[in-house]
Amino acid sequence: MAQGATIAPGLTSFLKSLKTTPVDPSVEHFTSLLKRRQIRSSRPCAIATVALLLRVVIEFKGKDAAKLMERIRQVGRRMISAQPRELVVGNMVRRVLGLVREVVDENADVETNAASDNAHSHHDSLTRPNLNSSISNFSPLKHVATEPTDSNLSQSEHMSDSGELYRRPSLLTSHTSYAPTSNALMVHSLFGLFSQPETPSTSSTPTGHQSPDRKGMLTSLNLERLANLSMSNTTIDLRAEVMDGIKELQDELEQSDELIAANALDHIHSNEIILTHTASTTVQKFLLAAARKRKFTVVHAETYPHDHTATHGILLTGKKRESHQDDEDDVWKPLTAAGIQVVVIPDSHVFAIMSRVSKVILATHTVLANGGLVAAAGARMIAKAAKDHQTPVVVVSGVYKLSPVYPFDIEELIEYGDAGKTVPYEDGDFVEKVDVENPLYDYVPADLVDLYITNLGGHAPSYLYRIVADHYRTEDITL
Amino acid sequence: MDVETPTAENPQFSSPPTFDIVSTYRTILASDPDLTMPVAAIEALVEVIAHSTVSTVAETLDLLERHTAILKSSIPNPISLSAGTDLFQRYLVTTLNRPASLNLGPDDDFRAIRNHLLSNGRLFVERAKASRDKIASFGKHFIRDGATVLTNGGSRVVGALLRRAAESTHMRFKVIYVLPSSTSVDSSEGHQIVADLRSHNVPVATIPDSAVAYSLGKVDMVIVGAEGVVENGGIISRMGTYQMGLLAKSKGKPFYVVAESHKFVRLYPLSQFDLPIEQTVIDFKVSTTDKSVSAEPNDEGIADMNAEEVRKFSGNSAQDAVDFTPPGLISGIITEAGVLTPSAVSEELIKIWF
Repeated sequence: MAQGATIAPGLTSFLKSLKTTPVDPSVEHFTSLLKRRQIRSSRPCAIATVALLLRVVIEFKGKDAAKLMERIRQVGRRMISAQPRELVVGNMVRRVLGLVREVVDENADVETNAASDNAHSHHDSLTRPNLNSSISNFSPLKHVATEPTDSNLSQSEHMSDSGELYRRPSLLTSHTSYAPTSNALMVHSLFGLFSQPETPSTSSTPTGHQSPDRKGMLTSLNLERLANLSMSNTTIDLRAEVMDGIKELQDELEQSDELIAANALDHIHSNEIILTHTASTTVQKFLLAAARKRKFTVVHAETYPHDHTATHGILLTGKKRESHQDDEDDVWKPLTAAGIQVVVIPDSHVFAIMSRVSKVILATHTVLANGGLVAAAGARMIAKAAKDHQTPVVVVSGVYKLSPVYPFDIEELIEYGDAGKTVPYEDGDFVEKVDVENPLYDYVPADLVDLYITNLGGHAPSYLYRIVADHYRTEDITL
Repeated sequence: MDVETPTAENPQFSSPPTFDIVSTYRTILASDPDLTMPVAAIEALVEVIAHSTVSTVAETLDLLERHTAILKSSIPNPISLSAGTDLFQRYLVTTLNRPASLNLGPDDDFRAIRNHLLSNGRLFVERAKASRDKIASFGKHFIRDGATVLTNGGSRVVGALLRRAAESTHMRFKVIYVLPSSTSVDSSEGHQIVADLRSHNVPVATIPDSAVAYSLGKVDMVIVGAEGVVENGGIISRMGTYQMGLLAKSKGKPFYVVAESHKFVRLYPLSQFDLPIEQTVIDFKVSTTDKSVSAEPNDEGIADMNAEEVRKFSGNSAQDAVDFTPPGLISGIITEAGVLTPSAVSEELIKIWF
């Protein structure tokens, strides 16, 4: 990049400065970039967040997992409050927290295994497989709907809420922290009612041959799992393992477009007319993957006024015009160069042309836990029109955009942009007399979407709760 | 602790029927107005175990099965109750069949579980009640400032949720309450909740069933309770819920169900008439030859007496009847553990059954 000094602050400059700056100034830098909207939209936010969290882990001294998590959470909170509508930031923080927990759990399992083997060698053949299967104790019942982080509740109310929300998972998981019941297959959420009490009362401990000291040992092992980790003799390198996990996460971010595009040939057939909108690299790569084998027509709604320059850019050169920051990204040819006929239409023509469209492919900003999505303004109109014409709506999205947040209030998720883009401010007469608004996003309810294609494959909207449960730990949903 | 009872006493093991589960169940249910049917049933079954001298797994399961059958046949609509008894039974089967799950010696399991159950009976009830509070504490986030909520029946969970929302200071919301005009138990509970909400400064309007469609234009969301949540994610709830769901769907209003997860029941009804209870909601009659027509269903009822599953529902009218709301009409099921999509219900049930 020759521009060097003239480069506008953005993802590239941030990632560069991250290599040399310590964490705290970097967090400051990142939050200001977020606030100034110099890093925006899901992918750059995700990349920057993960890179920053990697720095946090690298700089973290000590071996205490609980402290590391607290540190990540604290950094995460600052980033989220800087721009609550970029839900991917929160997603990435939760994913990294989940990584730490995974490392801790794996280690603790090994420990408990060893302990129970020592103390109880006579039926360890029974114990062992059960213990190992405890990784699958994830249940969607535990997947929690949180209030949107940018809720306009008063502070005190907010505090008490988060208190309640915080207590709830701990109540639910109380039995998972109790070794005797949890390690085996008893972690069924519907059985929560019957689970052992948190503090085993003397009456509930059997009077039989069970040796109390062993039980005590096991319990304390699990209760103080996090704290014990630093002192445990099975020295795992917490930092290294978490860093490996974060690197995998970075790979996932990098590869998600390719993985999504791999599905393209299953969904796009010859001579189809595909309708899409906004400048989305995910959608473009998806279409390009299909274009290598098949001929079809793309109808592109230009998404005026907030995204049309980028849309025009991506159609002309295969690159968003404004996105000088991801220059190193692999350059791809525009669809037209691949021999695909592209028709650009204004958004108002969507309904008129929908009767000829055979499939709608939408990009998204965030996917929410209930299967709904937040996408560039215009998406809902397109989805509605498609519904009216019984045209299938396919949403392509990386799993990293999938958020465990439940949309209690849709209004809060919609961001409003520069009204001057709709009507220029110079048009004083006009601006004086009418209110001009420029919403950037739309909420599309789940029932308008027929299929989600993520880097894991295709899913029905009703199945998304399961993917949420697989990717986020309940404990982390409220940050 | 009569756990030491030797197996030699097995022959006289037919004595437990002297224990009257039905009256125990009714006493438990009456003793605490906040108790739900499934939890009361679990309590009653714990009592059964406490009064028995069984010492093996098979005996216990057999005992429970018999008592569950007695209990189910004693009440007109056992759907909600069976959620509790099934859950209890599955818990025992799962726990007892996996000796390692308690990390005890194999010979200790049964005793340990028995003791756990007997000593913690109270705890289960507390948990069940706490789950209602939990639902209320975060279900209230669904109610936004200025919203109008449509609800029906006398569901205590819905009542708790609305009350909690009203108690949080800055919420201003209105409630439209569908109340049946009759004087059923349901509507008296409904009246109670309405009075309670009004005393909390929540403007409440009561409307009859027939005014639901009319009122829907003023409504932002529908929240209903449920007697049971079935496997496909649909709900079984008091008569009139289904039509509210249909109307809400047609008007594009979100339709939320509030239910504790112990109400999940393993049924898979495909239509209204698949429920394992018989309701005489639709009762064809002609004015003069009354006897000949009405005799027919009665005969069937007698014939079905022996059939285990189908029970004649003595409640005569639509007042205490239930209907089935299919999952397609439900936006979300608010449980104590989060908001589930209807399709998540089957997964939870499959997990405990298979």
